[in-house]
Order: sequence, then structure tokens, then C-alpha cells
Amino acid sequence: MKALWTVMRKELLDLFRDRRTLMLGLFMGPLLFPLLILGMGSLAESRARTQLESTLELPVVGAEHAPNLVAFLDTLDIRAIEPPADPEAAIRNQAHEVILQIPAEYPSQWRESRPAVVEILYDSSRQDSRIPVARVESALRGYSRQVATLRLLVRGVDPALGEAVVPGRRDLSTPEARRGMVLAFLPYLLILSAFLGGAYLVIDITAGERERQSLEPLLATPSSREAIMSGKIAAACAFGMLSLLLILLSFKLSFQFAGSGPFRGMDVSLAAMAKLLAILAPMVLIGTTLLTLISASVKSVKEAQSYMSVLMLLPIIPTVILLVSPVKNQLWMFAVPFLAQNQAILMVLRAEALAPLEWLVYVGAGFGLGLLLWLIAARLYHREKLAISA
Amino acid sequence: MIEVEDLHKAFKAKTGLVRAVDGVSFVAGDGLVTGLLGPNGAGKTTTLRMLYTLMRPDRGAVRVDGHDAVADAARVRRSLGVLPDARGVYKRLTARENIAYFGRLHGLDAQTIAARTERLVAALGMEDFIDRQAEGFSQGQRTKTAIARALVHDPQNVILDEPTNGLDVMTTRGLREFLLALKAQGRCVILSSHIMQEVALLCDHIVIIAQGKVMAQGSAEQLRLLSGEGNLEDAFVRLIGSEEGLAS
Repeated sequence: MKALWTVMRKELLDLFRDRRTLMLGLFMGPLLFPLLILGMGSLAESRARTQLESTLELPVVGAEHAPNLVAFLDTLDIRAIEPPADPEAAIRNQAHEVILQIPAEYPSQWRESRPAVVEILYDSSRQDSRIPVARVESALRGYSRQVATLRLLVRGVDPALGEAVVPGRRDLSTPEARRGMVLAFLPYLLILSAFLGGAYLVIDITAGERERQSLEPLLATPSSREAIMSGKIAAACAFGMLSLLLILLSFKLSFQFAGSGPFRGMDVSLAAMAKLLAILAPMVLIGTTLLTLISASVKSVKEAQSYMSVLMLLPIIPTVILLVSPVKNQLWMFAVPFLAQNQAILMVLRAEALAPLEWLVYVGAGFGLGLLLWLIAARLYHREKLAISA
Repeated sequence: MIEVEDLHKAFKAKTGLVRAVDGVSFVAGDGLVTGLLGPNGAGKTTTLRMLYTLMRPDRGAVRVDGHDAVADAARVRRSLGVLPDARGVYKRLTARENIAYFGRLHGLDAQTIAARTERLVAALGMEDFIDRQAEGFSQGQRTKTAIARALVHDPQNVILDEPTNGLDVMTTRGLREFLLALKAQGRCVILSSHIMQEVALLCDHIVIIAQGKVMAQGSAEQLRLLSGEGNLEDAFVRLIGSEEGLAS
């Protein structure tokens, strides 16, 4: 136990002497992640707002066939402009997001009270066209309903007969949950930071130390290899938790200062942050022990680092699965690494409480896996090859 | 005292099995300096690694003060001071912190560590760099730090792999005196070297190793008589059967 503390203190001292690495490791995440999330959130929001509220300039082909329609659109802040020579090409080369085409038959169809066909040209694969197209569509629907109602009234028919069922909507999501939806990828960032936040440190203190050949004298001391390894794991976990704490604090501060952003009302109380930290603790242990295991089994730092690209993908898997087939929270999920963290973080952010049984399964499974990885890593630490790199 | 009995160690390589150590036996007594002399790649480092318990012999046994190095590894490590081939000094720690770290791993308290460090600093002449970070140390400073670190727990047995490798003349002289002082304190000192003059000056008992086997052993005088050559260098060449890896 004493050896564990000795090794842990030495590794932390060694790390803290390496100022530049330390600064990058501790402060890059806390500075970048909030910028990323807040920046992307406010960008999306301001984009949506300008598209919804500003005047939409709509190229109309054959505007002369339907002056009333064009005048109606104008009342909804959709101004008709001169169409390009080749409308289809203009959509394809993204010169315009949406173009309205009014065929020459429109006036005759209109006069005979037959359905008059108009065409909306757009490219559905373009995210940007979504809002303008919806605006044009809803304006056309409004115009159609208005004229149809007038026609029915003229013929002495009750317009309500035309509507058999009227669907009404009531959104029952809590405001916090709506914010949570916006933050689908916040859990990924947090899990990734917990899982691999201290990765270079872990790789350095096992594979790196082996490469620098300082592991040989260290392992020739009477301290048990388990104690030495645990000291290194403890140092990496302490560092990982510290960097997570900074990341969470930076999220808390930036959400609070963000004011009217899309994240207002999200649960960023100190209690929620403490819960997130507790949720991420098993992840820190799992990441550290897994990387120690890898570092103890490979020949070089380079080889250990080449595992990183695969490891970085692991936390995405549950997010992707949930995106494709969203499922209700079930108890077994709290035993599956990454998925469990994902669910638990979302619950905290949505200000939902985790049941005691869920906590129990979560903590048990997380630390259980950490312990298993520790045992395997400890076995690898006993290999003869570990101490000798030359 | 370290007793080595018929050690064997082989490694798998792409070209087949490499017998790095193939039957090495000797006894290194207390109050004596024992030298393993041999060309590069003779199996000296592998032999020493089996002595300080980092490698397990395929066959044979190592006993340190009567304790088996495999069965009783932790106990053996406590009575050993080890200077490995690669010194492995931590660059971001000062020399003093390097020494204290190993002291703590040996279970010593802070006072003992401080007192022993002072003694080793004086004996090895480390006063001017003891509180500097090891980054940028010269080869000699690194070796001295590693030796002090290996001896902080006051071990009865001292194993040094190529201790004078890369050192200048003055540092080598100082180190030689230090090793003779260890011998005078009644310790068992084992060192490896490929430099004959070094071994001849220091060692009471010389074990000549080549191709993993002991070619001859005895005092410098005995080896000269054994080979029938007038000087030790010729004796060495004759005993290892080639001039390969010979350095002066």
C-alpha cells in the first residue's frame, strides 16, 4: 500500500513537472468543448432564426400566371423575384434553395375551379433548403385552404365538412428534456474525456517507461508489481478525474453565461455536476486499466498509440445505436459500458432521478469491469518481457 | 554472497532458438569484487538479469545470501543493489528525488533516506548536481545517480552492469575507488565489463564468458598462468578463442 502511494506521488510529480503537456492535457478540453457545443448550438439557432424570420426571396417561374398567389405570398414575407434562366440547373448548382414554378395552365385550371398544379423545385439532400421549402409549402397550403373555403361558402356548403378529423398536438416533454435532445452528443464528449482523457499519461508511464528502460530498475525493487502498477493506475485516475472536473466546471460556467442559448434551463447545478462526476468515475477506471493492459502487452509506445483510433470509436457505438433505434431505459442497460454512461448522463441532464437499483447495477458493473481489467493487466505486468526492452 | 549454478537461458528469435546463457556457474564472495568479462553479446547482461530476478532461468539456480532468486525473489531483491545496463534515471526528477523514490520503494523512512543520500553524495562526489533535474545530465552524472539510487537501501550485494561504460578517465577513477570502498565494507560486488584493464585493476575474481559459456575463471594471475600468455589481453583472446568484440 505504501509502495502504491509512493509510485502514485512520483508519477504525479513527474507529470506536473512537464508543464506544457500538463497544460494541454488539463485545459484544452475545458476550453474547446464548451466552445464547440455552444458555438454549434448558437450557430444552428441563429441560422434557423434568420431563415424563419427574414424575407424569403423566392424565384417564381411564370409569376404572371398567378398574380393573386404572388400577392398572397408577399403578405407572408415571401417576395417573388425574377427566376433564373434554367431553374433546375440553378437548384442543382445550389444557386437557389427553392424555386416555385407556375405552369401556363394555371389560369384556366383556376377559372374552372379544378386543382391548379404548382411545382416546388428543391434539393432534399440539402439541409439548408429544409426551412425555406417548409415556409413555401405552408404558405401555399394556407392560400389553398383560404380559397377553397371561399369557394365552398359561395356554393352554400359548410367548409367544416371538408375536415373529418382535426389532429391537435400537445408536447409533454419537460423543458429540460428538450434541452437534453439538443445535447445528444454531450454524453459522447464526456465519456470520451473520461475514457481516454489520460491516455497519453497511461501509455507513457507503462509503455513509455519501458521504452526509456527505467522500468528495469523499478521492477528490480522489492515492491510488488501489483503495487507499482496500481500506483500508476491511481495516478492516471487522479489526473483523469481532475481533468473531468475542469471540463464539467467549464460546461457549467459556459451554460450559465450562455444566457438565451438553446441550453437555457439545463440542469447544471453543482449537484448535477457531482452526479456526472460520479457517473464518469467508473469510466475513468475502465479506460485507465484497459490502456495499462494494452501498454503492458505491446512492444512500443507507437504500437500502444495505434490502438487509440479504435478506442475513440467505442463510446460512439451506443450513441449511434440509440440514434438508429431509440429504446426505453431498461435495467440491463446500466450494466453495459458506454451505453450505461450515455443513459445515466442523459438522465442527469434531463433532471431525471436514477433509481437506487439503477445506481447499484451501474456502479457494480462499472467497477466490476475495471477490476477485471486490472487483474488481467496485473498478470501482464508479471511477464518477463515487460521489464526488458533492449 | 551470490552463488550461480549452471544457469541456462534461451530466447526465441526469428532465426531459431538463441542460447544467450548456456551453462554459467560461479561464486561471488563477500568482500570481493567479481568481474564478468566477455565480448559484446556474450550473455553477461542476461546472466546479471537472472541474478537480479528480472529473468527466470530456464535451468540452474541463483542463490543470494542463501536465498533462491526464483522462489524467494522479494527477499533477494531487498539484499541487492542493481545498476542496469540502461541507467533508467527519471529525467524530470532531481538526482535527490530519484534516490528518495527508490528509498521509499525499499520501505525506508525519510530520515534514513536523507542520511544515506548525504553519505552517497559525498562518496560519489555528487554535490554540484544533486538538486538538479536529471534532464541534461552527463553520462557520468546519470551513472552516479543510478548507483546512488541502487545503494540507498544499503544492500549487502551490489550488481553493476558495465558501470564504467561511457565515463571519462577521472570519473572512472573515482568510481573505481568507490567500488573498492564497497569491497572494503565487506560487500559482495559483481560487475560486468568488456574492458580487460578495468577488470584486471578491480576484480579479485574474473569470470570470462563467451557465447553464453564460462571459458575460464580465477584471479588475473591464475588466468595468465592458465592460458600460458604473458599479459592478460593475450590471455583473454586465447581463452575466448577469438578477437571478436575486443575493446581496450
